[in-house]
Amino acid sequence: MQFIKQLLLVMGFVCLASSPLQAAGKGQEQVDSKGPHGGKILEQGNVTVELAIFEQGVPPEYRAWVTLDGKPVTGDLQLAVELTRLGGQVDNFTFVWQDNYWQGDGVVTEPHSFDVAVILTLGGKTYQWGWESYEGRISIAPDIASAAGIKTAVAGPGAISRKITTYGVLTAAPEQVARVGARFPGLVTQVNVQLGDRVAQGDVLAEVESNESLKKYSLRAPITGVVIARLVNSGEMAGEEALYSIANLDSLWAELKVFPGQRADVRAGQTVSVTAQGLEQLGTIQHLLPTPGNSPYTLARVKIDNPEGFLSPGLMVAGDIVVDEVVVPLVVDNRALQSFRDWTVVFIQVDDSYEIRPLELGRSDGAFTEVLGGLQAGDRYVVENSYLIKADIEKSGASHDH
Amino acid sequence: MINAILRLSVERRFLILSLILVLVGVGVWSFQRLPIDAVPDITNVQVQINTEAPGYSPLEAEQRITFAVETALYGLPNLAYTRSLSRYGLSQVTVVFKEGTDIYFARNLVNERLGAIKSALPPGMEPKMGPIATGLGEIFMYTVEAEEGATLADGTPLDAMALREIQDWIIRPQLAQVPGVIEINTIGGYDKQYHVTPSPQRLLAFGVSMDELASALRANNSNRGAGYIERNGQQLLVRSPGQLASIAEIEQVVIGNRHGAPVKIADVADVAIGKELRTGAATRDGTETVLGTAMMLVGENSRTVARAVASKLEAVKPSLPPGVRLEAVYDRTTLVDKAIATVEKNLLEGALLVIVVLFALLGNLRAALITAAVIPLSMLATITGMVQAGVSANLMSLGALDFGLIVDGAVIIVENCIRRLAQAQHVQAHNHGDGLLPLKERLQLVYEATAEVIRPSLFGVAIITVVYLPIFSLTGVEGKMFHPMAATVVMALLAAMVLSLTVVPAAVAVFLRGRISEKESPIIQGAKSLYRPALLAAMKFRWLVLSGATALVVVCLLLATTLGSEFIPQLDEGDIALHALRIPGTGLEQSIAMQEQLEMRIKAFPEVDKVVAKIGTPEVATDPMPPSVADNFVMLKPRDQWPDPSKTRAELVVEMEAAVEEIPGNKYEFTQPIEMRFNELISGVRADLGIKVFGDDLDQLFAAANDIQAVLESVEGAADIGVEQVTGLPMLSVHPRRMALSRYGLNVEDLQDLVAASIGGENVGMVYEGDRRFELVVRLPENLRRNTDSLAHLPISLPDGGYVPLSEVATLELAPAPNQISRENGKRRVVVTANVRNRDLGGFVEEVKTRIASQVELPPGYWLDYGGTFEQLESASQRLMIVVPMTLAIIIGLVIMAFGSLKDALIIFTGVPLALTGGVISLWLRDMPLSISAGVGFIALSGVAVLNGLVMLAFIRDLWHEQGDLMTAVVEGALIRLRPVLMTALVASLGFVPMALNIGTGAEVQRPLATVVIGGIISSTLLTLFVLPVLYALMHRKEVNVG
Repeated sequence: MQFIKQLLLVMGFVCLASSPLQAAGKGQEQVDSKGPHGGKILEQGNVTVELAIFEQGVPPEYRAWVTLDGKPVTGDLQLAVELTRLGGQVDNFTFVWQDNYWQGDGVVTEPHSFDVAVILTLGGKTYQWGWESYEGRISIAPDIASAAGIKTAVAGPGAISRKITTYGVLTAAPEQVARVGARFPGLVTQVNVQLGDRVAQGDVLAEVESNESLKKYSLRAPITGVVIARLVNSGEMAGEEALYSIANLDSLWAELKVFPGQRADVRAGQTVSVTAQGLEQLGTIQHLLPTPGNSPYTLARVKIDNPEGFLSPGLMVAGDIVVDEVVVPLVVDNRALQSFRDWTVVFIQVDDSYEIRPLELGRSDGAFTEVLGGLQAGDRYVVENSYLIKADIEKSGASHDH
Repeated sequence: MINAILRLSVERRFLILSLILVLVGVGVWSFQRLPIDAVPDITNVQVQINTEAPGYSPLEAEQRITFAVETALYGLPNLAYTRSLSRYGLSQVTVVFKEGTDIYFARNLVNERLGAIKSALPPGMEPKMGPIATGLGEIFMYTVEAEEGATLADGTPLDAMALREIQDWIIRPQLAQVPGVIEINTIGGYDKQYHVTPSPQRLLAFGVSMDELASALRANNSNRGAGYIERNGQQLLVRSPGQLASIAEIEQVVIGNRHGAPVKIADVADVAIGKELRTGAATRDGTETVLGTAMMLVGENSRTVARAVASKLEAVKPSLPPGVRLEAVYDRTTLVDKAIATVEKNLLEGALLVIVVLFALLGNLRAALITAAVIPLSMLATITGMVQAGVSANLMSLGALDFGLIVDGAVIIVENCIRRLAQAQHVQAHNHGDGLLPLKERLQLVYEATAEVIRPSLFGVAIITVVYLPIFSLTGVEGKMFHPMAATVVMALLAAMVLSLTVVPAAVAVFLRGRISEKESPIIQGAKSLYRPALLAAMKFRWLVLSGATALVVVCLLLATTLGSEFIPQLDEGDIALHALRIPGTGLEQSIAMQEQLEMRIKAFPEVDKVVAKIGTPEVATDPMPPSVADNFVMLKPRDQWPDPSKTRAELVVEMEAAVEEIPGNKYEFTQPIEMRFNELISGVRADLGIKVFGDDLDQLFAAANDIQAVLESVEGAADIGVEQVTGLPMLSVHPRRMALSRYGLNVEDLQDLVAASIGGENVGMVYEGDRRFELVVRLPENLRRNTDSLAHLPISLPDGGYVPLSEVATLELAPAPNQISRENGKRRVVVTANVRNRDLGGFVEEVKTRIASQVELPPGYWLDYGGTFEQLESASQRLMIVVPMTLAIIIGLVIMAFGSLKDALIIFTGVPLALTGGVISLWLRDMPLSISAGVGFIALSGVAVLNGLVMLAFIRDLWHEQGDLMTAVVEGALIRLRPVLMTALVASLGFVPMALNIGTGAEVQRPLATVVIGGIISSTLLTLFVLPVLYALMHRKEVNVG
């Protein structure tokens, strides 16, 4: 008998010693009671309401099932749901009977984070329920938020200026280069200008004695500019070839290559910021030219002033073309944007609470993005360190795996 | 045989005693070689193979490197399994070998295979084996910091890069030489690099491509040796130096000629010192720092090595530039010293108490000293055994030693000798008058007295040893934790047994030759005068005594079920470690910012001395973490500097948890430094149930895992269900548009090369500064790299000299991608984990298996594997179910062998449950859970109970046979045995008192054990003194009646 007892005790000990493995976890998760349609069950007296957000194949909507003493109620009731969102926005829903459920009128917009109030009037009696249903909402104490460097801004109108970067070379326009030749062949008797001299229109460049008339005549500069080539010396015969080249480089043309992928955005008249030799200059696209030959790009021509003569044709320049510049009613800072599930979101702040706002976005430049929906002007949203809010909301999913 | 040994010991007593010197010598020599650490090493035999793959995404690292490495390892001898993970820039394959495989043999095998696949890997990829270290390897950490406003000699500030350079080129080479250090691992700061950052516009202007730029740098940066010439008898070496040594020299490298003018690097690019794209960072007390970790070679003595590193660190300090602060932040010596101090204190105090008790009860100092001498001798023998068996000294292995138990056998022998000698002297004095025994007679007497009790005490020791068998049957982590403990105790007991068989009788024969006092000490006399009436009363009310005892056992059995339980005790390491986890995809700089805020908060605790953290992956990827994870080490101040020194560690952790919970964006796991390292290395599934899904396609795996999760959620008792996070790394993909590329005459590779060089940088050589060498990297300027919008406009040079923007030939897409790919045994896997609550684990696993089999459909080529702690539990339970009854049978068999009677054996066996009652009650009184430590206490108790019962019954039986009267024999026998029983009880329990009251490091292992033994010995003594005689008288009454 004692032996069996002994055996039992040792066995008991063995089992106890190994049981901590079974009891390793702690705490019990609170599981909400779910109804047959996957919704939340609300009960009061003999009335039961099941309320669900249905979003399969349709925009999210409320559906409800009401039973009285266990029997479905399909008419003669008033059911209203009131959602109070962070920031005070209130959405109201009333319900109508469909084939086999009560359907809420309207879309339950994302995020599904609100205080819910349900009011049911049935058989002359009114029933009320209320609860909190939050998602993507956290609260951070102000001192911790400021220590973490969280900064906010108020959403409002702003300008969007979208740019694309192109490259090209500077050229002199055909009208700015003049080649001067002798009208009648003859002997050059006098040369007045040297290479590099500035000449004004009408200045005498050279004197030529015509072979036919043996009269001297003057060669005059057709345009104001700089002598960039001189092919003649005094005593030489002037034939049909040009004797001088004069170029006016007070302005140049930047021929920027616009590739097919960029072409749709670029139009004549757009502002361009051209950078050449570290100097930046604003210009306008005068025309768009197809290139000769089989090159795939289009040339956007921008006139560039060159009063000091620092720039020269053939120089490589970069041009930032402003393809879009509009003032829109609502913009957000790009630093505020974060991805959250499938959405792009910002986090709005109301007192200590922060909550996601999935956005519908429009145009964007390097600094700001237009908001088409999901946010109201005047909402305070997190600009700096918005990643912290995202990290805090998603952190329950962070795991340590090696 | 035993008698022969005894006779030899008594007759050759001086020889035996001189052998002690040998034992002492060997023991001391062994002690110097004994590896000492704080906790047992629970790391498995593993080899890590790390391949750094700069710029590789997880998918590429897996496909190009991990797969090749894994495939090469197939069929290695003694291979247990492989697992791998592929991350950004890193492939890590961990090869786990079967227990007992020699690590050097294993590494050789791996090395051989790695050599064979070098050609199968992408060029430049070199798999390297991790350091030869275990989870105990990280013994020392230090930080390199700059003092406020400190500058270098040339006036530049001491920034993170300068500090890293000091660590890499001054500190590390010196520390790496310390014997026993296998690796100095660095994290934090930046590797210094020379950056050539071309401007795309300037490249276009000069018609130079990135490729030409890179090749120019490659071709203009080397020294060349050119043999030697002999001139006039002298040998001249010839060399042509051409290495680039400074920024100015790099700028002057000519790329080519354009229209007759040379184009230099300076024309198209800026050259500057730059920062590497690092994978890890370190912080201390809220600021960035450089952190060095010394890793200890496997099998070294951590205290010795840590001390050597610490003293080397002091020696390094004078060689540092002024303004650099080098400080140790974690030193294993502290912990080991504390642990050893605890063990030492317990053992010393225990030994002293034992001597005092022996002296008080024996009334003979020599006898007490002989008995006490067994303590150091058996300790030395144990140490020798530990060194031979490769068991290290630590809190677990030394924690369960109780000298009271060890000397039990010796106590019984010495006591009996004293009693017999005193008796004989008394008789002799009565006959002849001088009271001294002749030598021969004395030796004979010692021999007889020893032989009389040696059998029961040998059996007692044998039984205690046998009781430890179930512990040896534990495997895995539990086995590694408890085998050393059981092994040490068994070795100590065996040593004591051998000693009491040889040295004790020899010493008694040599030293106890004078007049032995025949008077018993007053304590014993007092005890006897109390015991006789009490025993007589017990004999009278025997049924009452027996039913009382039975009731007590039943009550305690019920009580035992109400005790909490823990399987593996948590050894308090004194410091706190915590993982700070951020969402996957968090960047390193962001992580550092969040970490700084966290550290400020932790530092605000008055108990905290220092807080350091490693973020991401260090230089040697011993622990490859993503940048979103930080390992924090919180070093606490000594307790006396706390505002409230009585605050427990657990309380502090709770407070800290609450405080850091307020900081947004982090999730935490609290642990301890060594424990953390073990977990990282073992890295098994730590949940009750882990369901691994194997297969090819990640999306499919993930879908299957989610299906399984859904099934698990519907199973009763499931909790904490989680699917391994494999996705969530945001990735910018540059998809080549093949048609467009061909239109411009480009290959996909041209595009990829350009993107890789622009963003990640292209390594084009080294810049040497003396011994120091730094990478020369071509990379886009930071402002262009960071801006994803401008990336679309990045110009790509065309073969004909033109250019095309990146967006024209590639689509840029931002989408989440796998953040890591885990594989096991050469196949991709995703794990679903779950814990079980309020339900038996076995039934739960069965239900899960059947439900998954019927409800989850896996495509062909996909399969499941069930793992988790339930496996260990199952195998441990199964093994214990066989081993425990077997052990009991062996014990009964031993007792029957000793007595030749089943009845007597069973009577002695009743001692066990009664002994256990005291243990249970004392646990309950001190509010402690049942644990393996407590279990070891119970095991020791059973042994003591059986030992006492054996000795007691043996005497009663002999007396009965001599005198023929059962009742007289029982009473007289019990009275004679009162002294040894009390003595063994007192030494065993008093020897444990310091441990039971201890609160120092390691106390959590020893306290339950000591508590159980002390409580149990009290109940066991009462049993031996009262219940056993009563039971014996009762059981044998009929024989008397018949006879």
